Amino acid sequence: MDAVVKRLIKAIKKEDDQDAFAELVDLYKDKVYQIAYRMTGNSYEAQDVAQEAFLRAYANLESYDESRKFSTWLFRITTNLCIDRLRKKKPDYSLDAEIKGTEGLSGYSQLSSEELLPEEQVVAFEMQDWVQTEIAKLPPKYRSAIILRYIEDLSIKEIGDILDLPDNTVKTHIHRGREALRKRLRNI
Amino acid sequence: MACQKKEEKQIDQYLDGELSAAERKELFAHFEKCPACAAHYRELNKTVMFVQSTSHLEAPPRMTDQIMQNLPSRKKKPGWRKWGRRHPIMAAAAIFVLLMSSSMMSIWNDQSAGQIAVAGGENVEVDHEHGKVIVPEGEVVRGDLMVRNGEVEVHGEIQGDLTVINGEPYLASAGHVAGDIEDVDQALEWMWYYTKKFTTEAFTWNTEE
Repeated sequence: MDAVVKRLIKAIKKEDDQDAFAELVDLYKDKVYQIAYRMTGNSYEAQDVAQEAFLRAYANLESYDESRKFSTWLFRITTNLCIDRLRKKKPDYSLDAEIKGTEGLSGYSQLSSEELLPEEQVVAFEMQDWVQTEIAKLPPKYRSAIILRYIEDLSIKEIGDILDLPDNTVKTHIHRGREALRKRLRNI
Repeated sequence: MACQKKEEKQIDQYLDGELSAAERKELFAHFEKCPACAAHYRELNKTVMFVQSTSHLEAPPRMTDQIMQNLPSRKKKPGWRKWGRRHPIMAAAAIFVLLMSSSMMSIWNDQSAGQIAVAGGENVEVDHEHGKVIVPEGEVVRGDLMVRNGEVEVHGEIQGDLTVINGEPYLASAGHVAGDIEDVDQALEWMWYYTKKFTTEAFTWNTEE
């Protein structure tokens, strides 16, 4: 993976190879979209953020330090864009999330839908919905830490690099986010 | 709620995978005695599993196409910078020429904006109102005459060269110029003239030494 990414980036930088960039987008689009969706809580905005993140990465590729992981750099652009957006429409995230939670989940079904009975599907869907809704209620700084840790499955160190925070702060954000989710989970 | 801060912290550390085997044992022994802490741990663990269980989303199918259609131009380093790194001497020469010409341009601009300037002729008439320099009939200019920012009408005689910068030379039928008449009105020509003069002077100065 890393070797492939390095080769693609070299081709883009040297020859402005757009096909190489398209390959790069294909490699990372799901993860970038996922972060954007979990952060913003709506599929329309997630698409918009993901697209902008890739366009920015393309335009600023010269400033990417090749000695570091490309995904870290790309996820950093993505989370920053999300946080900017959330800041711009601040009151949204606690009130709106519940209404918006259901859309955009169509992509998830492939995993399990074939094996589950209809009523089980409903339960699974509701659980998905619940997680999405509750994550969307977290303040953005806890939200991003929880998403990167448990949905993207990244290490504390990587999360620190992405969010530009010391490891201990990342841990604190994860602990608080986790605790807030736990309290709400008790009620269902 | 965990019964003590210490246990609460240990649960967090355990979930972060930072507890040693001995500490883990201690913590689980505590759970045996303390149902509140055990419940707290179970709930947190369940929360994490729920979050982890959310299915992974896929980006909308047309996203790559949409991105590729909107691709801006990349902020590349300008080409000349690369060229400069490969040809440092040429780059230095180019910078020299640039600086030289800009300093000459500034001299030119200073002068072209100014008033009529005459060098060399003592017995010429300067008509500021019409922007003219007149060598009257019967007068003789010994040596060269240089006029800047004005027309020159020659009715008399110039024994040397006549140079007109940013103006127009006019030779009346009775007038006479023994040397060359040079008409300079473009910055570039003037620069050429200036360089020529400079090198000639430098050369003469050298031979005089």
